[in-house]
Amino acid sequence: MNGLERELVALSDAVEWPDSPDLAPVVSGRLGDAPRRPGLARRPLAITVAVVLAAVLAVLAVPPARTAILDWLGIGGARIVRVDDLPPLPLRQDLEVLGGPATLAEARAQAGFRFADPPRGEPRPDEVRLAPGLRVSYLWRDGPDARLIVTQFPGRVGDPALLKKLAGDATRIDRFAIDGDTAVWLEGGPHVVLFVAPDGLIRDDHGWLAGNTLLVDRDGTTVRVEGALDRPNAVDLVRAMPASPSSEG
Amino acid sequence: MGSRPPDEETLVARAKRGETTAYEELVRMHQGIAFRVALVAAGDRGDAEEAAQDAFVKAYRALGRFREGSPFLPWLLRIVANEARNRRRSAGRRAGLALRAAAVVSGDVAPSPETTALTLERRDTLLGGLAALDERDREVLVHRFLLELGEEETAAALGIRRGTVKSRTSRALDRLRAVVGEDVP
Repeated sequence: MNGLERELVALSDAVEWPDSPDLAPVVSGRLGDAPRRPGLARRPLAITVAVVLAAVLAVLAVPPARTAILDWLGIGGARIVRVDDLPPLPLRQDLEVLGGPATLAEARAQAGFRFADPPRGEPRPDEVRLAPGLRVSYLWRDGPDARLIVTQFPGRVGDPALLKKLAGDATRIDRFAIDGDTAVWLEGGPHVVLFVAPDGLIRDDHGWLAGNTLLVDRDGTTVRVEGALDRPNAVDLVRAMPASPSSEG
Repeated sequence: MGSRPPDEETLVARAKRGETTAYEELVRMHQGIAFRVALVAAGDRGDAEEAAQDAFVKAYRALGRFREGSPFLPWLLRIVANEARNRRRSAGRRAGLALRAAAVVSGDVAPSPETTALTLERRDTLLGGLAALDERDREVLVHRFLLELGEEETAAALGIRRGTVKSRTSRALDRLRAVVGEDVP
């Protein structure tokens, strides 16, 4: 390296580069599609998703047929469907669909279904969100976004709060039990949470693309834990959620 | 704790299998240089951030086409630079990143030996010399020396062949030298 080249390298230190943003959280939230396998055409895959969604919509539109679809891979109010391709998600988390902020007392009074209190111990959730009749969520925030969300929703067949999870090929799905309650652990690949609204339309639940998700069916209420937790920690978190005095309001 | 972080090749292989956490690590590993390459190509901070972000998402979706065992960074930087250039064209902006010399180094922080080797006057001379070069000369020197990229990464980011990087660098250095001289102590 000659003198001028060395000066240019030294100049790099003297240049006022703007701070590099931390892109990882936003990018991570946008990894809705699994990496493409070579030679796998996108169009047929997209059609697969369209067929799945159309089938779901069509079935849900006919109440007597609901039970059939609920039998696919059932746990509480969540259903898991494997697809080859995943629908796109919005860039940012839309926490609004989790409902409005509420106190725990308000949630207990207005939820309309039984749900468990926040897990004992620290840190306490930063926020409680309530969508009456649909779900109660505990949020641990990271600025405007959430880093951990525990959502509970009534899991009875026929409830409006039917949740679907679309899991790609890369997602590992383990079925197990936590103290006798049925549980499912989704890990290692992208999956999309879709919510079937009371009007029958499917929309993405809150744009949160969890790396790992734990679903537990507790006494007819489904507990969903999403965030950067490994399985033992997620199980511990659910175990730390006390049997709730919360009752239908 | 105490275990060695996984290497890039392992992370790429895991990300190809759909492990988003592995890809997040790759993003963290390369986001600094990706942002700077985008900044040079886009000439605007906001566009650079969006371009880098979009490029990481596109790269993830294209991982199935990435040949395992080949270096990841050049492949990534090609996507980043393309994305950033497209944004610059869409915005109708001319190329040319305004590089500014850093403010006076804080007394609390010891400047690196390289930084102290350049006087403020010399810094300004070099920045002025770079700004006076045509775009192709400036961008190859910025990538090779200010971003400290290798020939392969530079070739990928600029969309040219490695041999072209070599010859263009040599000519650009000659032209810059003609403007700023060579201040060898």
